[in-house]
Amino acid sequence: MLASVLLLLASRLAAQTPAPSGPATYAGSDACKVCHEEIVGKFAANPHHLIETSKKRGREGPKEGWAGKTCEACHGPASNHTESAEAKDIRNPAKLAPAATDQLCLGCHLNQPAQAGRIQSGHARSQVACVSCHSIHKTPEELKPTKAAAVNEKCASCHVSVWAQFQRPYTHKLPQNAMSCVDCHNPHGRNMTSTVRMTAASGEPACLNCHGDKRGPFVFEHEPMRTDGCTACHEPHGSSHPRMLTRNDARVTCLECHSNIGIPKPGQNGVLGGAPPAFHNLQSQRFQACVTCHVKVHGSNVDRTFLR
Amino acid sequence: MKAVLPFLCAYAVLAQDAPPVPAPAATEWLTGTADFGYRWRTDVAGSFDTYRSVVNLGEGPKLFGADFTIVDPSKRFFDRLAVNGIGWGGDPYTTAHAAADKERIYRFTFDYRNIAYFDATPSFANPLLGNGVFLNQQSFDTRRRMAGFELELRPGSRLVPYLHYTRDSDHGTGVTDFVSNSSNSYPVANFLRSHTDNYRGGVRIELNRFHATLEQGGTVFKDDERVTEATRNNGNASRPFLGETLHLDTLLQAYGIRGAGPYTKAQVTASPLSWIDFYGQFLYSMQHTDVNYTQSNTGEFVNLSSLLFYSAEQNLLAGAARQPHTSGSMGVEVRPLRRLRIVENWTTDRLHTASSLQVAGSTQRLVDNYNQQSVDVIFDLTSKITLRGGDRYVWGDTTAPAFYGLAPEFGTLKRHAGVAGIAFRPAARLSANFDFEGGSADRFYYRTSLQDYRKYRARARYQALPSLSVTWNLTILSNDNPIPSVLYTFSSHDDGLSLLWTPKGGKRLSLLGEYSRTSVESNILYVLPQTFTSARSFYRENAHQASGLLDFVLPNIRSRAAHVSVGGALYTAAGTRPTSFYQPLAKLSLPVAKHADWVSEWRWYGFAEPVFSLEGFRTTQLSTGLRVTR
Repeated sequence: MLASVLLLLASRLAAQTPAPSGPATYAGSDACKVCHEEIVGKFAANPHHLIETSKKRGREGPKEGWAGKTCEACHGPASNHTESAEAKDIRNPAKLAPAATDQLCLGCHLNQPAQAGRIQSGHARSQVACVSCHSIHKTPEELKPTKAAAVNEKCASCHVSVWAQFQRPYTHKLPQNAMSCVDCHNPHGRNMTSTVRMTAASGEPACLNCHGDKRGPFVFEHEPMRTDGCTACHEPHGSSHPRMLTRNDARVTCLECHSNIGIPKPGQNGVLGGAPPAFHNLQSQRFQACVTCHVKVHGSNVDRTFLR
Repeated sequence: MKAVLPFLCAYAVLAQDAPPVPAPAATEWLTGTADFGYRWRTDVAGSFDTYRSVVNLGEGPKLFGADFTIVDPSKRFFDRLAVNGIGWGGDPYTTAHAAADKERIYRFTFDYRNIAYFDATPSFANPLLGNGVFLNQQSFDTRRRMAGFELELRPGSRLVPYLHYTRDSDHGTGVTDFVSNSSNSYPVANFLRSHTDNYRGGVRIELNRFHATLEQGGTVFKDDERVTEATRNNGNASRPFLGETLHLDTLLQAYGIRGAGPYTKAQVTASPLSWIDFYGQFLYSMQHTDVNYTQSNTGEFVNLSSLLFYSAEQNLLAGAARQPHTSGSMGVEVRPLRRLRIVENWTTDRLHTASSLQVAGSTQRLVDNYNQQSVDVIFDLTSKITLRGGDRYVWGDTTAPAFYGLAPEFGTLKRHAGVAGIAFRPAARLSANFDFEGGSADRFYYRTSLQDYRKYRARARYQALPSLSVTWNLTILSNDNPIPSVLYTFSSHDDGLSLLWTPKGGKRLSLLGEYSRTSVESNILYVLPQTFTSARSFYRENAHQASGLLDFVLPNIRSRAAHVSVGGALYTAAGTRPTSFYQPLAKLSLPVAKHADWVSEWRWYGFAEPVFSLEGFRTTQLSTGLRVTR
């Protein structure tokens, strides 16, 4: 009985499935236009239109290039889809697993500096596909937003807590759209654990793109600037403390490292910054704001104690 | 009510005057918007300096924002030119951005920003705040301008040459301190002027499975900061020193700093086989700085080591610093199975600074060697679940300069961390990520460095209804350093929720709301130098942040929708430095012509700090103007 039921079901399923038409071949963009006229029409204004005439053809492109087959550069050979008009017969990158979508995009874009770190990025690890941020068929601005407001809105839609920090009083001017997240971060990632963008000139944090006077090199360096970067003392996403400090005032920020404990033995843990002992009376108001006197705290060219 | 009546009448008249719906236009060669008008501001109640440090918006006619796109049908000089900018008319942040391209010929971008940095918060650096004396030390009124362009030739071809130039400049005035020694310090006028030029050019070689970028560039830096004083200045010390009143009569400090740094960069990516991707990068730079420093000051000073008083001082110093920096990384992603990816990465970064000043014993050397190796294994358990695990090893060493004849400080870094995560996509409407990173350091540089730490991160997005989506974030970090002389414990907790509700596609109503809660705790021991006893530094912060915008669509005027929006942002924090910052707002947009809307915005800013009550401020702003759309 069971066998006959299964046989019946199988025969019904077989009857519903169209006969296989063999491996799909390229059908050409004109065939796509028959049903998807609006998308194909708008695509002419899209930067990906360049695929049509580009000599680059990615990993899987035909030897003769993509001329006349632009749609299939991403969607794959479409002959079966044009015959059946079934969604299952065409590749839809937006519905693939994120890693598969990425591979498709990186087929061409891995070969570009901005995306070279993609496979190492947090977005890739967290399965956030390229199409999560980029609307492939739409206008150039929707494909790759250039206005700060559009970029910030896109990032904030996922990074809720980070965006909330910009509601604090002392922040970079992102809510005012004078800056955008991508001024400091490369959302495509880089070959380090952080997405913080690096300066082209010296591979240092992107903070120095605007704060060039902090770049140095200084005759007298403040070590955390080189080992830990600006975030050792500053909270760039926003702080309730002046100068975006991580602590309520400069004294507390400084004392967390400058413990006033004598020099430990070389190589001992936590050695840097513990020396030398300072004999300022920390209970006196005069010595409660370190940067009042140590004005060149980012590095000095004249004085080892950063007084000038 | 009387105030509202004329507005209602005007609205009714406008609403009756609706022309027929215009036929959709063909593709326009010019599209864009321009927002211009006037902003009024009430007098700032409270601290005007803090207002300028935090908000800094002024009155007057403004071009609030503009953007336009030109599509040239003849494609003679460009295919598409897009220009946008904000804040023209004296606002503290002014931007302009332009992008033009011509297919297969060039791609050009230009960016300009002019951002005001006004910073005068006495609580930051004023040692006499507790005495009720308000000096303005460490305050600045500067402007930073950034301008640059990038030109890419023959985009889309095998060889893509490019050029890039940026200039970052800073100029303005401030008040800094002149410190003759720890016996007294003097707030003095500061004139800041510096700029950095960055040039780079290169070529991208783009093949189907291989790519290389070769770039050569450099920076040029110039800093001509001056510090002056021309009248008697008694400084911060309120008492005489050994019976003598220390004071400053005249001062001239001039920093003549010149720097430059050529660099060479190469980057390679390749996909030699369908299951392997390779990438590598190398950068070498040689930054250097040359310093000529002049200082002359008169007054009454003391040399603490000899207890001799003197009345004049002159310093002429020359110094130099050289900083070779080599950085390289390489990595590979291997996909041995359809569901399995292995990502391996190696990074090394070697930065050395050697410097000397024309003073005996002032030769300095800073060495920072950093290395990182990481491996991540990513496995698609099912089409909806992806698992991730990996290991990260960081090691390095650093030598910090000697301090007044003492031995140089030397530190080493060795830290292992394990990472694990899961990405879960049960349906198109729901996705979630959970990540964990935990590490332990055998060696570390600073008392506050990551030693024994754990980091948890979760993120979820749920499209509950076609009109309702919710996003949730959570980040927790804890770090401990149990060494008895440190006893450092740090923890932070950050979670946020955002909600977007657009019933009926937002035709009548839409709501965007965000709420976030943050808590930070930091405890660490330090030593009081007077008694050599331990004291504990506490820091606490419990903050709530929220922002939202509720947008109502009013009945059509001239066949176009009018909008009323209310919302704003609030921030309130308790703990070591309690703070509140409220920014409610209301907006009204009324169509007044086919391509024009009358747009008005009301905002209120209220900032308060109970510990530093004199730094609070309150003010109201009203801006109104036209938005012209084409």
